Amino acid sequence: MSSYLDWLENESVFIIREAFNKTKNLALLWSMGKDSTVLLHLVRKAFLGQVPLQLVHIDTSYKIPEMIRWRDEFAARNGLKLIVGQNKQALDEGMGPEKGRLVCCGALKTQALLDTVKEHKLGGLLLGIRRDEEGSRGKERVVSPRSSNSEWTYKNQPAELWHYYNLHTPDDVHLRIHPILHWTETDIWEYIRRENLEIMPLYFGNDEGKRYRSLGCWPCTGTINSCASNLDEIIEELRTTETTERAGRAQDKEDTYAMQKLRKDGYM
Amino acid sequence: MVELYSEPDVKKIVVVGHVDHGKSTLLGRILLDTGKIPADKVEAVKKTCEEKHVPFEPAFFFDALQEEQEQGISIDTTRVNFEFDGHRFLLIDAPGHIEFLKNMTSGASEAEQGIVVVDCVEGIRSQTGRHLKVLSILGIREVIIVVNKLDKIGYNETTFTKLAADLADLADAEGLRCLKVIPISALHGENITATSENFSWYNGLPLLPFILKLKEDTLDFTTGSEPLRMVLQDVYKFNDMRYFAGRVMSGEIAPGMEIFFSPSGKVSTVASIETFPAGGKQKAFKGESVSICLTEQIFVERGEVISSTREVPEVETEFGSRIVWLSSEPFQPDNNYLLKIGTNEVNCEVTVVTPAGGSRHASAVLNNGDIADVKIKTERPIAFDRSLSTANLNKLVLCSKYDTVAAGVVNLKGERKHDAPVADPNVVFEEGYVQRGMREEQNGHPGTVLWLTGLSGAGKSTLAKALERFLFNSGYKVVVLDGDNLRTGLCADLGFSPEDRSENIRRISNLAKIFLDTGFITVVACISPYEQDREQARKLIGDADFNEIFMFCPLEVCKSRDPKGLYKKVVTGQVSNLTGLSSPYQPPVNPHLRLDSSRMTTRDEVSAVIDLLDQKGVVHKDRLTAPAVTPVPEATPQAKL
Repeated sequence: MSSYLDWLENESVFIIREAFNKTKNLALLWSMGKDSTVLLHLVRKAFLGQVPLQLVHIDTSYKIPEMIRWRDEFAARNGLKLIVGQNKQALDEGMGPEKGRLVCCGALKTQALLDTVKEHKLGGLLLGIRRDEEGSRGKERVVSPRSSNSEWTYKNQPAELWHYYNLHTPDDVHLRIHPILHWTETDIWEYIRRENLEIMPLYFGNDEGKRYRSLGCWPCTGTINSCASNLDEIIEELRTTETTERAGRAQDKEDTYAMQKLRKDGYM
Repeated sequence: MVELYSEPDVKKIVVVGHVDHGKSTLLGRILLDTGKIPADKVEAVKKTCEEKHVPFEPAFFFDALQEEQEQGISIDTTRVNFEFDGHRFLLIDAPGHIEFLKNMTSGASEAEQGIVVVDCVEGIRSQTGRHLKVLSILGIREVIIVVNKLDKIGYNETTFTKLAADLADLADAEGLRCLKVIPISALHGENITATSENFSWYNGLPLLPFILKLKEDTLDFTTGSEPLRMVLQDVYKFNDMRYFAGRVMSGEIAPGMEIFFSPSGKVSTVASIETFPAGGKQKAFKGESVSICLTEQIFVERGEVISSTREVPEVETEFGSRIVWLSSEPFQPDNNYLLKIGTNEVNCEVTVVTPAGGSRHASAVLNNGDIADVKIKTERPIAFDRSLSTANLNKLVLCSKYDTVAAGVVNLKGERKHDAPVADPNVVFEEGYVQRGMREEQNGHPGTVLWLTGLSGAGKSTLAKALERFLFNSGYKVVVLDGDNLRTGLCADLGFSPEDRSENIRRISNLAKIFLDTGFITVVACISPYEQDREQARKLIGDADFNEIFMFCPLEVCKSRDPKGLYKKVVTGQVSNLTGLSSPYQPPVNPHLRLDSSRMTTRDEVSAVIDLLDQKGVVHKDRLTAPAVTPVPEATPQAKL
């Protein structure tokens, strides 16, 4: 072991194995994005190519259509079993971003996720969030307990020292486990390049010189001006960029502390 | 060829200190001044500050929570990866308020070094001392102290100098090595990446350049390969194969190796190291998460520690530890706690032996933030290490039902913490009539101690003998205490474990002290690999007389010289625990002299030491009459062993 990416990979594999050993009904929240696709690859590294846990996707019905197409093809090709969670009741009642972006995220993502956790009795979720994405994620623990209403008690998080994670929980608490919390956006892309991972084409610059740097629902996710059409070009672009990764995500900008407020209620 | 492992080059530093002394501001400033924050994030923070009608606050890059920004306080820890001048850093922000001590320790546990921030107006406050203690408990040995907010006192040098001395003493008292005290203004970004006019009186390096220099100074010395410790996380059965999954915490593992499981005591042999994508590995090193297959099928479970059959960890049901209590629920002597070491978990009873200094209550009650020496009795045997060289299998946490409530490190053998053994109180020191000063007057020169430290083959004995001859011929009282020679008599009962090495140094320093008090120029030549032991020697001998001379010589050169044939014997397996290969060497950070015998002649080395002695007034160069140094014949290896 020598490189920094090896170090990150080994840390993450250790965390995934700890979670798998201790958590009842562990699942992986897969958004098909670059981070959770790296996470899926790390799960394979941990279990010698197997994926001995369930994959969950929360479908808001507002996802960029190409994402859903890619999801189904990728899952079929790789023999992955997928649980698709959706807040049908809210959608039937006409929920959408025009009702307010944060309200919409709360119903179609947070509530849908909590319902899925309860329905499938999931004891823990592996999530591909990273500290450098935005401020409130920066304050996360590797293992973060969520109460029965999925609340994050960010003002009173448990102590987490060395590699000793708090993986015992009461029955009504589920765990959010963050194996790639310490990776940066650049680390993710460098790892994708090194491991030669299949990644959603939306990340690469199209003929009009636009690409997605972060993927989400189409009404709230914008592209950036970029001709970066391969991994080398994306990595080079990140070295010199003057903007943050989630600059194209409209929900983050609803309020100075929008993400904190969403995440307090259990948003990923 | 013995392979040396080097960890990825990341310097992990935690920033600690009392609440409001400017930790997050310093970190925000470092990122801002090195251009690591995207423009849109800078704009966002500027906008937030305007909305709140406060001046631009670099701390907001770290204190991202609403409550943190509104109250101007860090609640939880966070960290950033950051590259500067081609070096990778992990900077960890740790909150200073006592209520958030569990968050501070969560951050600090990842670090190798600490930066302690102290407000020059407020000076040393309660959390300053407590954080130093906590760093020490977590196994951190080195700190850099920054005195902040010098802009508030008109950059007053006198105030800084006085505070700096007090702070260095405070760190010293906690067994921490203070690498440097640096005055800064985090708010204005002065003396952090670069110095400023206001600090013209300060003649050291600014903070970041100082840290970089530290890195460069230690680059040539990676820790030697340590004994294998792999913690077993799980056993998987896929496709009729059983895989033993875990992480190599130290040392290395390879197919064909016979391995020992603790505490079960079972033995097996590594058949292969399996990987995904398939292909396998011929060797795995410290830090790697691996899956191994065994030749003989045995039943073992999560919690076992895998080692070689020769260097096994200890397995006990009772041991001592110094812990810090991290829960708002006080410690209950009648409660059972869950102890975690490695991946093993056992129930245990905890008894408070002595509430250590810094506790708010001198009783068996432990509240949040209290520090105490405890005895831990486990329900079942548990494996761990007490030596200094296997750093990863001595760290422990105690958990209540769901939460981590305390953290610490297993005490070294014999419950010895940082202090040397203390004599029985009935022993009375008998003062002599003839004092050191009288002897020095009669000798015509003061005594002192020259402490030569370095790897085997770095040229310590050669220089010691050359100095002895030169000074003796010039009429000085001089004596050489050679580590190997003493091991034939006074220290013949000692081996080369970390504990025995410490004891060896303790005896040599006491002997050196006797010669010093007799007015001799005392030349000590011994590897003395551990910083902590040399620090003890310095304390015993006294700062003024302890001259640390680092015989710096690249390991490759030492190996090629191999005057005692020891490096060869490691390769053939006849010697284990050789410093630099199978046992670590911790180089001195601020030696009085650093002599590279791969580039300097013995004559140059002698004259460098004579210059040092002249500066200290021990010798007068113009009085030296000895003939030029002639090379000293090397003793035969047999005679030296």
